[in-house]
Amino acid sequence: MHSTGPINWTPMIVGFVAGFISRVLALRSGRSHFPGFPSGYISQIALGVIAAMVGSSITVSLAGKEFTAATFLTLAATQFRDVRNTERKTLEAEEQLILVGRGAGYIEGIAVTYEARNYLAMLVALVVSAATQFFGLWVGIGVGVASILVGERFMSGPRIGDVCEVEPAPVRFEKGSLLYAGDVMMMEVGLKGSRERYLQHGLAVVLTPKNPRGQAALWNVAQRQAIAHEAAAAVGTQKDVGYPEQTPLCRMEMPNATGRAGLTIIPVHRDVNRLIRAIKNTPVLESSKWARMPMTNPISSSGMGGEESSSGTASKPSPSAPTVRSAHVPSQEV
Amino acid sequence: MADAPTPVMFAIVTTNANTVHGGMAPVFVADSEEERDRVAMWLSRITNAIVHDLHNGTLVLTVNQATQA
Repeated sequence: MHSTGPINWTPMIVGFVAGFISRVLALRSGRSHFPGFPSGYISQIALGVIAAMVGSSITVSLAGKEFTAATFLTLAATQFRDVRNTERKTLEAEEQLILVGRGAGYIEGIAVTYEARNYLAMLVALVVSAATQFFGLWVGIGVGVASILVGERFMSGPRIGDVCEVEPAPVRFEKGSLLYAGDVMMMEVGLKGSRERYLQHGLAVVLTPKNPRGQAALWNVAQRQAIAHEAAAAVGTQKDVGYPEQTPLCRMEMPNATGRAGLTIIPVHRDVNRLIRAIKNTPVLESSKWARMPMTNPISSSGMGGEESSSGTASKPSPSAPTVRSAHVPSQEV
Repeated sequence: MADAPTPVMFAIVTTNANTVHGGMAPVFVADSEEERDRVAMWLSRITNAIVHDLHNGTLVLTVNQATQA
Protein backbone atom coordinates (compact mmCIF):
# COMPACT_ATOMS: atom_id res chain seq x y z
CA MET A 1 0.00 0.00 0.00
CA HIS A 2 1.27 3.37 -0.92
CA SER A 3 1.14 5.71 1.96
CA THR A 4 -0.44 9.08 1.49
CA GLY A 5 0.69 12.27 3.08
CA PRO A 6 -0.79 13.55 6.29
CA ILE A 7 -4.55 13.61 5.97
CA ASN A 8 -6.11 17.03 5.67
CA TRP A 9 -9.08 16.76 8.00
CA THR A 10 -10.45 20.25 7.47
CA PRO A 11 -12.62 19.57 4.39
CA MET A 12 -14.12 16.53 6.02
CA ILE A 13 -14.97 18.36 9.22
CA VAL A 14 -16.45 21.39 7.48
CA GLY A 15 -18.42 19.21 5.08
CA PHE A 16 -19.67 17.00 7.86
CA VAL A 17 -20.82 19.93 9.94
CA ALA A 18 -22.61 21.54 7.00
CA GLY A 19 -24.36 18.32 6.00
CA PHE A 20 -25.38 17.57 9.55
CA ILE A 21 -26.76 21.06 10.09
CA SER A 22 -28.77 20.83 6.90
CA ARG A 23 -30.30 17.57 8.15
CA VAL A 24 -31.01 18.80 11.66
CA LEU A 25 -32.62 22.01 10.42
CA ALA A 26 -35.13 19.92 8.52
CA LEU A 27 -36.08 17.96 11.63
CA ARG A 28 -38.70 20.39 12.87
CA SER A 29 -41.66 18.25 13.66
CA GLY A 30 -44.33 20.92 13.31
CA ARG A 31 -45.05 20.21 9.73
CA SER A 32 -46.26 16.66 9.84
CA HIS A 33 -46.32 15.88 13.57
CA PHE A 34 -43.64 13.37 12.84
CA PRO A 35 -41.24 12.52 14.37
CA GLY A 36 -42.81 13.36 17.64
CA PHE A 37 -40.70 11.46 20.10
CA PRO A 38 -37.04 11.34 21.05
CA SER A 39 -36.65 7.87 19.61
CA GLY A 40 -37.78 9.19 16.24
CA TYR A 41 -35.29 12.03 16.42
CA ILE A 42 -32.47 9.73 17.41
CA SER A 43 -32.88 7.47 14.40
CA GLN A 44 -33.17 10.46 12.09
CA ILE A 45 -30.11 12.14 13.60
CA ALA A 46 -28.14 8.92 13.35
CA LEU A 47 -29.03 8.64 9.69
CA GLY A 48 -28.13 12.30 9.24
CA VAL A 49 -24.74 11.71 10.81
CA ILE A 50 -24.07 8.80 8.50
CA ALA A 51 -25.23 10.73 5.46
CA ALA A 52 -23.06 13.74 6.28
CA MET A 53 -20.15 11.44 7.02
CA VAL A 54 -20.45 9.63 3.69
CA GLY A 55 -20.78 12.86 1.74
CA SER A 56 -17.86 14.58 3.41
CA SER A 57 -15.42 11.69 3.31
CA ILE A 58 -15.74 11.05 -0.41
CA THR A 59 -13.72 14.12 -1.39
CA VAL A 60 -11.07 13.41 1.18
CA SER A 61 -10.66 9.79 0.17
CA LEU A 62 -10.52 10.74 -3.50
CA ALA A 63 -7.94 13.39 -2.74
CA GLY A 64 -5.95 10.78 -0.84
CA LYS A 65 -6.22 8.47 -3.90
CA GLU A 66 -8.10 5.91 -1.82
CA PHE A 67 -10.42 4.81 -4.61
CA THR A 68 -11.51 1.69 -2.79
CA ALA A 69 -12.71 3.77 0.11
CA ALA A 70 -14.58 6.10 -2.23
CA THR A 71 -16.30 3.17 -3.92
CA PHE A 72 -17.38 1.76 -0.61
CA LEU A 73 -18.79 5.11 0.37
CA THR A 74 -21.01 5.20 -2.71
CA LEU A 75 -22.19 1.76 -1.69
CA ALA A 76 -23.07 3.09 1.73
CA ALA A 77 -25.11 5.81 0.07
CA THR A 78 -27.44 3.26 -1.48
CA GLN A 79 -28.47 2.12 2.00
CA PHE A 80 -30.53 5.27 2.31
CA ARG A 81 -33.09 3.94 -0.12
CA ASP A 82 -34.65 2.08 2.79
CA VAL A 83 -35.45 5.27 4.66
CA ARG A 84 -38.48 5.93 2.53
CA ASN A 85 -39.90 2.45 3.14
CA THR A 86 -39.31 2.69 6.86
CA GLU A 87 -41.07 6.02 7.15
CA ARG A 88 -43.95 4.86 5.00
CA LYS A 89 -44.44 1.72 7.05
CA THR A 90 -44.44 3.61 10.33
CA LEU A 91 -46.96 6.14 9.10
CA GLU A 92 -49.19 3.53 7.49
CA ALA A 93 -49.32 1.57 10.71
CA GLU A 94 -50.25 4.72 12.55
CA GLU A 95 -52.95 5.48 9.99
CA GLN A 96 -55.11 2.68 11.37
CA LEU A 97 -54.92 4.16 14.82
CA ILE A 98 -55.82 7.80 14.23
CA LEU A 99 -59.34 9.08 13.70
CA VAL A 100 -58.54 11.49 10.91
CA GLY A 101 -56.00 9.84 8.67
CA ARG A 102 -53.24 11.59 6.81
CA GLY A 103 -54.16 9.86 3.58
CA ALA A 104 -51.88 7.86 1.33
CA GLY A 105 -50.76 10.91 -0.61
CA TYR A 106 -49.57 12.78 2.46
CA ILE A 107 -47.77 9.71 3.80
CA GLU A 108 -45.95 9.23 0.53
CA GLY A 109 -45.00 12.90 0.54
CA ILE A 110 -43.56 12.71 4.04
CA ALA A 111 -41.67 9.51 3.25
CA VAL A 112 -40.17 10.94 0.09
CA THR A 113 -39.18 14.09 1.94
CA TYR A 114 -37.37 12.11 4.60
CA GLU A 115 -35.47 10.14 2.03
CA ALA A 116 -34.60 13.23 0.06
CA ARG A 117 -33.41 15.11 3.14
CA ASN A 118 -30.76 12.48 3.80
CA TYR A 119 -29.55 12.72 0.24
CA LEU A 120 -29.56 16.48 0.57
CA ALA A 121 -27.40 16.25 3.68
CA MET A 122 -25.03 14.01 1.75
CA LEU A 123 -24.94 16.38 -1.19
CA VAL A 124 -24.32 19.42 0.97
CA ALA A 125 -21.51 17.61 2.76
CA LEU A 126 -19.97 16.59 -0.55
CA VAL A 127 -20.12 20.06 -2.10
CA VAL A 128 -18.85 21.80 1.00
CA SER A 129 -15.96 19.40 1.60
CA ALA A 130 -14.96 19.69 -2.06
CA ALA A 131 -15.04 23.48 -1.81
CA THR A 132 -12.94 23.37 1.34
CA GLN A 133 -10.51 20.96 -0.24
CA PHE A 134 -9.85 23.09 -3.29
CA PHE A 135 -10.49 26.67 -2.16
CA GLY A 136 -9.66 26.68 1.53
CA LEU A 137 -11.47 26.87 4.81
CA TRP A 138 -13.24 30.21 4.47
CA VAL A 139 -14.60 29.57 1.01
CA GLY A 140 -15.75 26.19 2.31
CA ILE A 141 -17.63 27.75 5.19
CA GLY A 142 -19.19 30.31 2.85
CA VAL A 143 -20.29 27.58 0.45
CA GLY A 144 -21.61 25.64 3.44
CA VAL A 145 -23.84 28.47 4.62
CA ALA A 146 -25.00 29.15 1.08
CA SER A 147 -25.81 25.53 0.31
CA ILE A 148 -27.70 25.08 3.57
CA LEU A 149 -29.81 28.12 2.78
CA VAL A 150 -30.38 27.00 -0.81
CA GLY A 151 -31.27 23.52 0.41
CA GLU A 152 -33.79 24.85 2.90
CA ARG A 153 -35.35 27.08 0.29
CA PHE A 154 -35.42 24.32 -2.27
CA MET A 155 -36.80 21.64 0.00
CA SER A 156 -39.75 23.52 1.44
CA GLY A 157 -42.47 23.31 -1.16
CA PRO A 158 -45.51 25.56 -1.42
CA ARG A 159 -48.17 25.62 1.25
CA ILE A 160 -51.92 25.71 0.86
CA GLY A 161 -51.80 29.32 2.06
CA ASP A 162 -49.65 30.19 -0.96
CA VAL A 163 -52.13 28.88 -3.48
CA CYS A 164 -55.49 29.24 -1.73
CA GLU A 165 -57.43 31.84 0.18
CA VAL A 166 -58.83 30.42 3.44
CA GLU A 167 -61.76 32.26 5.00
CA PRO A 168 -64.15 31.48 7.83
CA ALA A 169 -67.67 30.59 6.78
CA PRO A 170 -70.92 30.00 8.63
CA VAL A 171 -72.08 26.48 9.42
CA ARG A 172 -75.68 26.08 8.34
CA PHE A 173 -78.20 23.51 7.25
CA GLU A 174 -80.42 23.58 4.19
CA LYS A 175 -83.49 21.51 3.40
CA GLY A 176 -83.48 20.34 6.97
CA SER A 177 -80.43 18.13 6.91
CA LEU A 178 -77.83 19.24 4.34
CA LEU A 179 -74.73 20.58 6.04
CA TYR A 180 -73.19 23.62 4.37
CA ALA A 181 -69.90 25.40 4.92
CA GLY A 182 -70.81 28.82 3.55
CA ASP A 183 -72.04 28.00 0.04
CA VAL A 184 -70.36 24.62 -0.14
CA MET A 185 -72.48 21.59 0.55
CA MET A 186 -70.67 19.06 2.67
CA MET A 187 -72.92 16.13 3.48
CA GLU A 188 -76.26 15.01 4.75
CA VAL A 189 -76.66 14.76 8.50
CA GLY A 190 -79.71 12.74 9.38
CA LEU A 191 -79.54 12.88 13.15
CA LYS A 192 -81.02 15.89 14.86
CA GLY A 193 -78.56 15.68 17.74
CA SER A 194 -75.59 15.79 15.39
CA ARG A 195 -77.08 18.74 13.53
CA GLU A 196 -77.42 20.68 16.76
CA ARG A 197 -73.87 19.78 17.65
CA TYR A 198 -72.67 21.14 14.33
CA LEU A 199 -74.62 24.36 14.79
CA GLN A 200 -73.40 24.86 18.34
CA HIS A 201 -69.77 23.75 18.18
CA GLY A 202 -68.96 23.43 14.51
CA LEU A 203 -66.51 25.56 12.56
CA ALA A 204 -66.36 25.94 8.82
CA VAL A 205 -63.97 27.53 6.36
CA VAL A 206 -64.08 27.96 2.61
CA LEU A 207 -60.94 27.53 0.53
CA THR A 208 -60.81 29.58 -2.64
CA PRO A 209 -57.96 28.83 -5.04
CA LYS A 210 -55.81 31.80 -6.02
CA ASN A 211 -54.50 30.21 -9.20
CA PRO A 212 -54.75 27.04 -11.30
CA ARG A 213 -52.11 25.45 -9.11
CA GLY A 214 -54.30 25.91 -6.08
CA GLN A 215 -57.27 24.59 -7.94
CA ALA A 216 -55.39 21.48 -8.99
CA ALA A 217 -54.36 20.98 -5.38
CA LEU A 218 -57.92 21.25 -4.10
CA TRP A 219 -59.29 18.83 -6.65
CA ASN A 220 -56.90 16.21 -5.34
CA VAL A 221 -58.59 13.95 -2.84
CA ALA A 222 -55.37 13.17 -1.00
CA GLN A 223 -54.68 16.87 -0.65
CA ARG A 224 -58.05 17.48 0.96
CA GLN A 225 -57.52 14.55 3.29
CA ALA A 226 -54.20 16.08 4.30
CA ILE A 227 -55.95 19.40 4.94
CA ALA A 228 -58.58 17.69 7.08
CA HIS A 229 -55.85 15.89 9.00
CA GLU A 230 -53.93 19.09 9.66
CA ALA A 231 -57.14 20.86 10.69
CA ALA A 232 -58.02 18.11 13.14
CA ALA A 233 -54.48 18.01 14.47
CA ALA A 234 -54.56 21.75 15.12
CA VAL A 235 -57.92 22.29 16.79
CA GLY A 236 -58.87 18.74 17.70
CA THR A 237 -62.06 17.03 16.71
CA GLN A 238 -65.01 15.91 18.77
CA LYS A 239 -65.20 12.46 17.34
CA ASP A 240 -64.74 8.88 18.25
CA VAL A 241 -65.22 5.53 16.64
CA GLY A 242 -68.94 5.21 16.02
CA TYR A 243 -69.51 8.87 15.18
CA PRO A 244 -68.88 8.90 11.46
CA GLU A 245 -70.94 12.04 10.79
CA GLN A 246 -68.68 14.10 13.03
CA THR A 247 -65.62 13.45 10.91
CA PRO A 248 -63.92 16.62 9.71
CA LEU A 249 -64.62 16.90 6.03
CA CYS A 250 -63.07 18.80 3.17
CA ARG A 251 -65.22 18.77 0.06
CA MET A 252 -65.46 20.62 -3.21
CA GLU A 253 -68.43 22.83 -3.97
CA MET A 254 -69.94 20.12 -5.96
CA PRO A 255 -72.74 20.29 -8.38
CA ASN A 256 -71.42 23.66 -9.57
CA ALA A 257 -67.72 22.70 -9.61
CA THR A 258 -66.53 26.24 -8.95
CA GLY A 259 -63.20 24.92 -7.71
CA ARG A 260 -63.79 26.11 -4.17
CA ALA A 261 -63.68 23.73 -1.26
CA GLY A 262 -65.35 23.80 2.12
CA LEU A 263 -64.22 22.29 5.38
CA THR A 264 -66.35 21.53 8.41
CA ILE A 265 -65.07 20.35 11.73
CA ILE A 266 -66.41 20.08 15.28
CA PRO A 267 -63.32 21.26 17.12
CA VAL A 268 -62.30 20.69 20.68
CA HIS A 269 -60.51 24.01 20.78
CA ARG A 270 -62.87 26.45 19.09
CA ASP A 271 -60.40 28.84 17.50
CA VAL A 272 -61.03 29.67 13.87
CA ASN A 273 -57.76 31.55 13.45
CA ARG A 274 -55.78 28.57 14.59
CA LEU A 275 -57.75 26.40 12.21
CA ILE A 276 -57.06 28.73 9.30
CA ARG A 277 -53.37 28.93 10.17
CA ALA A 278 -53.10 25.15 10.23
CA ILE A 279 -54.84 24.81 6.88
CA LYS A 280 -52.63 27.49 5.31
CA ASN A 281 -49.60 25.65 6.62
CA THR A 282 -50.56 22.33 5.04
CA PRO A 283 -47.98 21.48 2.38
CA VAL A 284 -49.18 21.18 -1.19
CA LEU A 285 -48.77 17.51 -1.95
CA GLU A 286 -46.59 16.30 -4.74
CA SER A 287 -49.31 13.99 -5.94
CA SER A 288 -51.68 16.90 -6.44
CA LYS A 289 -49.45 18.23 -9.17
CA TRP A 290 -50.61 15.77 -11.74
CA ALA A 291 -54.29 16.01 -10.87
CA ARG A 292 -55.01 18.36 -13.74
CA MET A 293 -58.09 16.64 -15.03
CA PRO A 294 -60.96 18.91 -14.03
CA MET A 295 -59.14 22.22 -14.02
CA THR A 296 -59.22 22.76 -17.77
CA ASN A 297 -62.50 24.58 -17.32
CA PRO A 298 -62.05 26.15 -13.92
CA ILE A 299 -64.89 28.45 -13.06
CA SER A 300 -67.70 27.66 -15.49
CA SER A 301 -70.09 25.05 -14.24
CA SER A 302 -70.23 23.17 -17.55
CA GLY A 303 -67.57 20.59 -16.64
CA MET A 304 -68.33 18.23 -13.82
CA GLY A 305 -71.34 20.24 -12.78
CA GLY A 306 -73.23 19.67 -16.02
CA GLU A 307 -72.65 15.98 -15.85
CA GLU A 308 -73.70 15.90 -12.24
CA SER A 309 -76.97 17.76 -12.76
CA SER A 310 -77.88 15.79 -15.86
CA SER A 311 -77.47 12.52 -14.00
CA GLY A 312 -79.44 14.12 -11.21
CA THR A 313 -82.38 15.00 -13.43
CA ALA A 314 -82.37 11.55 -14.98
CA SER A 315 -83.38 10.10 -11.67
CA LYS A 316 -86.23 11.87 -9.99
CA PRO A 317 -84.98 13.87 -6.98
CA SER A 318 -82.18 16.05 -8.29
CA PRO A 319 -80.78 17.29 -4.96
CA SER A 320 -80.44 13.82 -3.54
CA ALA A 321 -77.93 12.59 -6.08
CA PRO A 322 -74.96 14.67 -4.90
CA THR A 323 -76.19 14.47 -1.35
CA VAL A 324 -76.00 10.74 -1.10
CA ARG A 325 -72.65 10.60 -2.80
CA SER A 326 -70.95 13.14 -0.58
CA ALA A 327 -72.54 11.78 2.53
CA HIS A 328 -70.99 8.38 2.13
CA VAL A 329 -67.45 9.49 2.13
CA PRO A 330 -66.98 10.21 5.84
CA SER A 331 -67.07 6.57 6.78
CA GLN A 332 -64.22 6.03 4.38
CA GLU A 333 -62.10 8.24 6.57
CA VAL A 334 -63.06 6.82 9.93
CA MET B 1 -59.61 4.90 -4.12
CA ALA B 2 -60.73 8.36 -5.05
CA ASP B 3 -64.25 7.15 -5.67
CA ALA B 4 -66.74 7.07 -2.87
CA PRO B 5 -67.19 3.43 -1.89
CA THR B 6 -70.52 1.76 -2.48
CA PRO B 7 -72.32 1.73 0.84
CA VAL B 8 -74.41 -1.07 2.20
CA MET B 9 -77.84 -0.11 3.39
CA PHE B 10 -77.83 -1.41 6.87
CA ALA B 11 -81.24 -0.53 8.32
CA ILE B 12 -84.30 1.57 7.63
CA VAL B 13 -86.13 3.42 10.37
CA THR B 14 -89.47 4.93 9.47
CA THR B 15 -92.64 6.39 10.84
CA ASN B 16 -94.34 5.78 7.51
CA ALA B 17 -94.16 2.06 6.83
CA ASN B 18 -96.16 2.39 3.60
CA THR B 19 -93.24 4.02 1.86
CA VAL B 20 -90.81 1.17 2.50
CA HIS B 21 -90.74 -2.24 0.85
CA GLY B 22 -88.10 -4.82 0.15
CA GLY B 23 -86.01 -7.19 2.17
CA MET B 24 -82.42 -6.08 2.00
CA ALA B 25 -82.30 -4.23 5.28
CA PRO B 26 -84.42 -4.59 8.40
CA VAL B 27 -87.17 -1.99 8.70
CA PHE B 28 -87.79 -0.50 12.12
CA VAL B 29 -91.18 1.13 12.34
CA ALA B 30 -91.48 3.88 14.91
CA ASP B 31 -94.61 5.57 16.23
CA SER B 32 -93.28 9.09 16.40
CA GLU B 33 -90.45 11.16 15.04
CA GLU B 34 -88.75 11.24 18.44
CA GLU B 35 -88.88 7.47 18.67
CA ARG B 36 -87.59 7.20 15.12
CA ASP B 37 -84.68 9.53 15.82
CA ARG B 38 -83.87 7.70 19.01
CA VAL B 39 -83.80 4.29 17.31
CA ALA B 40 -81.76 5.65 14.43
CA MET B 41 -79.27 7.22 16.82
CA TRP B 42 -78.84 4.00 18.76
CA LEU B 43 -78.40 1.94 15.64
CA SER B 44 -75.94 4.45 14.28
CA ARG B 45 -73.80 4.40 17.39
CA ILE B 46 -73.90 0.62 17.61
CA THR B 47 -73.01 -0.05 14.00
CA ASN B 48 -70.93 2.96 13.03
CA ALA B 49 -73.53 3.70 10.38
CA ILE B 50 -74.36 7.08 8.89
CA VAL B 51 -77.96 8.27 9.12
CA HIS B 52 -79.58 9.85 6.09
CA ASP B 53 -82.93 11.59 6.18
CA LEU B 54 -85.09 10.98 3.14
CA HIS B 55 -87.56 13.62 4.39
CA ASN B 56 -90.59 11.41 3.89
CA GLY B 57 -90.61 10.04 7.40
CA THR B 58 -87.85 7.53 6.64
CA LEU B 59 -84.28 7.44 7.87
CA VAL B 60 -81.77 5.22 6.11
CA LEU B 61 -78.65 3.89 7.81
CA THR B 62 -75.74 3.05 5.57
CA VAL B 63 -72.47 1.38 6.41
CA ASN B 64 -69.43 1.66 4.28
CA GLN B 65 -68.13 -1.76 3.28
CA ALA B 66 -64.50 -0.78 3.60
CA THR B 67 -64.77 0.16 7.24
CA GLN B 68 -66.48 -3.07 8.21
CA ALA B 69 -63.37 -5.13 7.65
